[in-house]
Amino acid sequence: MLPFSHLSRRTFLKGAAVTGSGLILPNWGGLAHAKSATEAAVKAKKRCILLWMNGGASQIDTFDMKSGRPTGGPFRPIKSKVAGLDVCEYLPKIADVADKLAVIRSMKTQSPDHPDGIYHMHTCYKMSERTPHPELGAVIAKFNGNPDADLPSFIRMGSTGKGGAGYLGPAYEPFGASQDGRLGSFATPYLADADEKKRADLFRFVEGEFAVDHKAEPFDSHRTAKERAWRLLRAKALFDTSKEWLKAKDRYGDTVFGRGCFMARKLVESGVPFVEVGQENYDSHADNFVVHKANMQVLDPAWSSLLADLEASGQLQDTLVIWMGEVGRTPGINNRAGRDHYIRAWTIVLAGGGIKGGQVYGSTDADGKDVKENPVTEGDLFSTIYATLGINHRAKHYYGVRPIWLTPEGSQPVKELL
Amino acid sequence: MMRSNNRLALYASGLLLGVSFASSPVQAQDKPLRDVIDTEIRAKWKEEKIILTGRADDAAFLRRVTIDLVGTVPTLEETTKFLADSDSKKREKLVETLLADPRFAEAQANVWDLVLFGRNPGNIGQTRTRPAFKTWFEKQFADGVAYDKWVKEVLVAEQRGSEMFLVQFRNAPEEAAVHVSRIFLGTQLQCARCHDHPYDVWTQKDFYGVAGFFVRLVVQDSGGMPKTFTISEKMSGEVLFSGTAKDQAPGKKGEPVKAKFLGGAELTEPALPKDFKEQPLPKDGGKLPMPAFSRKAKFAEWLAAADNPYLAKAAANRVWAQFMGRGIVHPIDDFNAENSPSHPILMKALADGFASHKFDLKWLIREIANSDAYQLAGTGAVTAALPKRFERARVRPLSAEEIVAAMRTATASEPESKNSGSEYFLRYFGEPTNGLGDFQGSLAEHLFANNGEQIRNFTRRKKGNLTDQLLSATEPWEVRVERLFLAVLSRRPKPSEVTKFVAFIKDDPKPEARLEDAIWVLVNSSEFRFNH
Repeated sequence: MLPFSHLSRRTFLKGAAVTGSGLILPNWGGLAHAKSATEAAVKAKKRCILLWMNGGASQIDTFDMKSGRPTGGPFRPIKSKVAGLDVCEYLPKIADVADKLAVIRSMKTQSPDHPDGIYHMHTCYKMSERTPHPELGAVIAKFNGNPDADLPSFIRMGSTGKGGAGYLGPAYEPFGASQDGRLGSFATPYLADADEKKRADLFRFVEGEFAVDHKAEPFDSHRTAKERAWRLLRAKALFDTSKEWLKAKDRYGDTVFGRGCFMARKLVESGVPFVEVGQENYDSHADNFVVHKANMQVLDPAWSSLLADLEASGQLQDTLVIWMGEVGRTPGINNRAGRDHYIRAWTIVLAGGGIKGGQVYGSTDADGKDVKENPVTEGDLFSTIYATLGINHRAKHYYGVRPIWLTPEGSQPVKELL
Repeated sequence: MMRSNNRLALYASGLLLGVSFASSPVQAQDKPLRDVIDTEIRAKWKEEKIILTGRADDAAFLRRVTIDLVGTVPTLEETTKFLADSDSKKREKLVETLLADPRFAEAQANVWDLVLFGRNPGNIGQTRTRPAFKTWFEKQFADGVAYDKWVKEVLVAEQRGSEMFLVQFRNAPEEAAVHVSRIFLGTQLQCARCHDHPYDVWTQKDFYGVAGFFVRLVVQDSGGMPKTFTISEKMSGEVLFSGTAKDQAPGKKGEPVKAKFLGGAELTEPALPKDFKEQPLPKDGGKLPMPAFSRKAKFAEWLAAADNPYLAKAAANRVWAQFMGRGIVHPIDDFNAENSPSHPILMKALADGFASHKFDLKWLIREIANSDAYQLAGTGAVTAALPKRFERARVRPLSAEEIVAAMRTATASEPESKNSGSEYFLRYFGEPTNGLGDFQGSLAEHLFANNGEQIRNFTRRKKGNLTDQLLSATEPWEVRVERLFLAVLSRRPKPSEVTKFVAFIKDDPKPEARLEDAIWVLVNSSEFRFNH
């Protein structure tokens, strides 16, 4: 386990970071509830932000450039901070923070289409199995979330995943926010604050009377969930970024995705263990290069500012940022200047959270058609993610009578990335 | 009368004095099932020196049995009438009234619909809403069709609406094998899909043998409103088996496996003529002619046969758990050699009785609901939702359907609001458990409850509803609060509750908003959220 002094230092850093970034929290989750700051630090586990490239981004036009080859396309590579890691000319800011990135160029996966790929790359299991596997976010919420926190433990901006909490149950279901991070359905009480409070007090009185001789666990679970919903409503000012955004939007880019990334940073800094931010429109079966150029111009400032801000506030070492979608795109360019779905050799990027940055893992052949070395499966990727977040990738649960593991049998973390 | 008195005496000595009775050597079949239940349950309590909490009071029993049998809470009138009734047999009478209630069919059809489909059925685009099935299914319960008969119809799928169960397994014979064995036979086969079952007797051959009965089914869209389907059957086609999952390789083709009854013989079927060619599917969505030899029919006949050793056991255990929380075999759909029943004599009596009463669900429900075990108090120190030895009433969340119905009944809301917002209720109250069936409250459920207009609709004053009735009444608020509690929680308030609620409502010169909030509190309470 971690030495005590380290914990204390981290606690201090965390507190300082909060003050430094000027966040005002109505109730600072675990920290306020905990008996001491050290206790809170023991609870403070690593967090994760998933940047989801919906539709599937092209590896050859981003991080696995094939300049001069028939599959290469028109974009030019530029040098990054890291030798051997050239990136697309439309990712200049990302090139500047490449020392944080671990680029996996050798993803070799199994689900070639959107619904199955989205499920598979959120759960690391095939959709056709029909067992309700939990998404990455639900797993991280369960293992790294603080059940006493005011904020939800799994927040999704946009509507990109689909597995939900699966067999982990509703306590870990994703809590939906809009793509730019504003609160979603049923977040606005119809009562005035004072009336809301009086009503809540009457509820607590009724529950107290009932609890005198009714001791079954479900009753408690019910009122705990009710209290959590109220705490979230009290903390909801956090979701209002209108003032801070004015200062940040030039760096993140004044886009929905940029604002989503900004919000994600604010949420993880407030203790939310998992946030997913979706960027739409990567499915470029036609006009791949127009689509990718436009998308990268949104992606580049948002992603790079997210990493820079996490680093500046001392959070990056505890916050894993994943860049991925459900599929890669074909090396071959079709007759509509598009690229189709491709799962034999594609790219995913990890940063922070204990991942060794400044490296490329695996490689593809000259035209990017096949993995040349170190293929990585869905299970290996998820094992790596769980390992770096301090979660046992073979943790066992039961679905009905059936034992079930977080990652499929035979999955292994990629040591070189950790 | 005699019997009833004896039962009371047993009750007094068994529960209050902590003395219990060992299993009687008398043949279980000679006694009413309700007595076998109590004898067996008590024997276990004695063996394990379990301390009990006593019997549910009338109000608690009324609410519990009403929700369980007709899917909603009792009305204010039903509650006051039952509490005032001084007949010593009023509980038995109530069970009879509820069994004959027209709402019984809808409620039980809802329970079994969830067993058959779950909240996320396969082929979900076509099976998510299933009005034709629901209509057909409810009619089976309304007509009192025996369990084995409607199970057979579900598997034969030849009546309008009844086909929907198999539509879930369109082009998925393996899924059909898993779910049909689990639901109707209480047997877990899914492990055997990829490897021989690790601790049960089932092999992969058994699994693919069952799948063989479904491999020839063809689901076709046959239009109509509500949408219906036809289930045709081809005359040829086999499941291919290619070894364990570990040995799979791309391009490896499997060997055909013969259809085989679970735990039984291989199916004998006439050989097809040498030059046999399968008929093409009719283009207009029409149905293939019934094959000369139908595997589907053979399987349904085998499964629903009175002498199928799994059928009655699995159903009786499921119904027991519906009312008592845990199965005698638990989990309820996992009968296997290593998972012994907690009360073996009772398990046998439930299954044998169900079969000898011609699979009459009403008979089984009547016996369980009239047992002392079902009528135990929901109070006491035990914290488990589903106590292992049935030493306290089980605590189960109301289903989404029951929540809507219960809120409507409790607040005397107009029937036209029947389906308003029910999609939301399904979304937020539909699946409140984790993979093991433990209750978990979700954030989304409570945000919806706190802020949603759909729930406010029940509490806001409307002509004739509870809020309106109480505001129009002229009695002191003390009396009106008592009515409020009787209407929503089906019981009288404690003095402390009267004081608190009266103060809460009177605190505002205009009581309407306060009363609305008071009702909201009660329908949101854990006392209301669960059946206990």
